[in-house]
Amino acid sequence: MNLKNQLELMIAKKVLLVGNFGVGKTSLIRRFVLNEFSEDYISTIGVRVSKKVVTYKNEAIKLMIWDVAGTNADEKIPKAYFLGASAAMFVFDVSREETYVTLEDNLKMVKELSGLEKITIVGNKKDLLSKEELEVVVDKVSLQIDLLTSAKEDENVEDAFMELTAQTLK
Amino acid sequence: MKKSTTDNKDKRFELLRDLLLTEDREKFDSLRKEFILNEKLQEKVSPFVDEKILDLRENFPKYFGDKVTDAIKIQIRESQDEVVEALYPIMGKMVKKFIVAEITKLSDSINKTIKEKFSVQEILKRFFKGKRNDAGAVLEEVFEFVIEEVFVIEKESGLLSGSYSRGSNVDKDMVSGMLTAIKSFAEDAFSKEGQDLENIKFETFQLSIRNFKTIYIAIATTGVLTQEIKEKLSDDISNLAEIILRDRTYLSEEYRLNEIIIRELIES
Ligand SMILES: Nc1nc2c(ncn2[C@@H]2O[C@H](COP(=O)(O)OP(=O)(O)O)[C@@H](O)[C@H]2O)c(=O)[nH]1
Ligand SMILES: [Mg+2]
Repeated sequence: MNLKNQLELMIAKKVLLVGNFGVGKTSLIRRFVLNEFSEDYISTIGVRVSKKVVTYKNEAIKLMIWDVAGTNADEKIPKAYFLGASAAMFVFDVSREETYVTLEDNLKMVKELSGLEKITIVGNKKDLLSKEELEVVVDKVSLQIDLLTSAKEDENVEDAFMELTAQTLK
Repeated sequence: MKKSTTDNKDKRFELLRDLLLTEDREKFDSLRKEFILNEKLQEKVSPFVDEKILDLRENFPKYFGDKVTDAIKIQIRESQDEVVEALYPIMGKMVKKFIVAEITKLSDSINKTIKEKFSVQEILKRFFKGKRNDAGAVLEEVFEFVIEEVFVIEKESGLLSGSYSRGSNVDKDMVSGMLTAIKSFAEDAFSKEGQDLENIKFETFQLSIRNFKTIYIAIATTGVLTQEIKEKLSDDISNLAEIILRDRTYLSEEYRLNEIIIRELIES
């Protein structure tokens, strides 16, 4: 098989980032895809789709990353956005309690809409809290947090997306 | 002296009209009407795009910035919901902006070719080079129906299964994703208002969408879509969809699907 055909046979997956307004979804994607961070608020209207090819267990996978705007509790997000996704990341802001107090309900809703069984849980903006404060947050959150990240300081961003990639193959 | 584009456009029409005065007049008239109709449509859409969308884009921080930053700073959930409420009505307009932006990218290169073909110099060159009835050829070439892009897209995920492109080098994965997102949004938000995305016209560029159960096929064309061509294209699309849906392995083997697209739509 020639190279062109090999490239065209690459697996492609739709993945989804959800979570309240301002938690850093767009920033995480920017960091992961472009390795950039901006303090400016990048308003996401509707949805933005980004692409990145990742290598996971020696296999190249094309991730199509959907950045969903709005609060996840907002039922106005078109339900169709959740369909056909192979994995989803729920992002909350460790410095804002209101972005994770309803985590369980929100996850339930995302699971129902997407049909996914496992959602990767990510607490972002870890740079804003001390180690002790982070521990308090981890205790408060009733569910297992997969990763604590900082899009600003580029901490664990790659790992979070790798975890997401792993989910797409399960 | 440089003439404005409107000037040029008027001249182009005059020239074409002169050239066609004796022959093919009816054909030209109908084409002209179609062309003007296109322009009228644009006129209708343009103020909306230019004023409202540009204004919103430019002044977005002014109109909503305070609310957005307040919501983040004050961290009150109530005001956050308010922001979402405030944002939602303009999302539809933003979606239109996205459509325009995406399609502009696709159509820019194509329109360039058309403008070259449609230039006064080019028409004059042809006119003096050939016989008088060469004008028919010019017209045909200018308005010739051409399939520019074909996308076969998985409906739910928006992932691209196969495609054909006459020459543009847009990122087809991105176009497929955005188009699917826009489509979902429009179907969700405007379904009551009867706004669908089955046909998007932009300048000489037209995007047609045909929905099937698990896939949809988007085709970008330029030129005049006569009833005859329309019917043939529709049949060709149905045939293509039937082939794909009967043997779903096509959906995971892009190069095979691409070959079928060319066979069924381009070479047929
Ligand atoms: N300190 C800090 N700020 C961040 C981080 N990630 C995002 N932000 C800021 O949080 C705000 C909202 O981010 P954004 O990515 O637009 O959030 P979204 O609404 O979830 O897409 C912006 O001002 C970002 O600069 C981070 O890891 N640390
Ligand atoms: Mg965002």
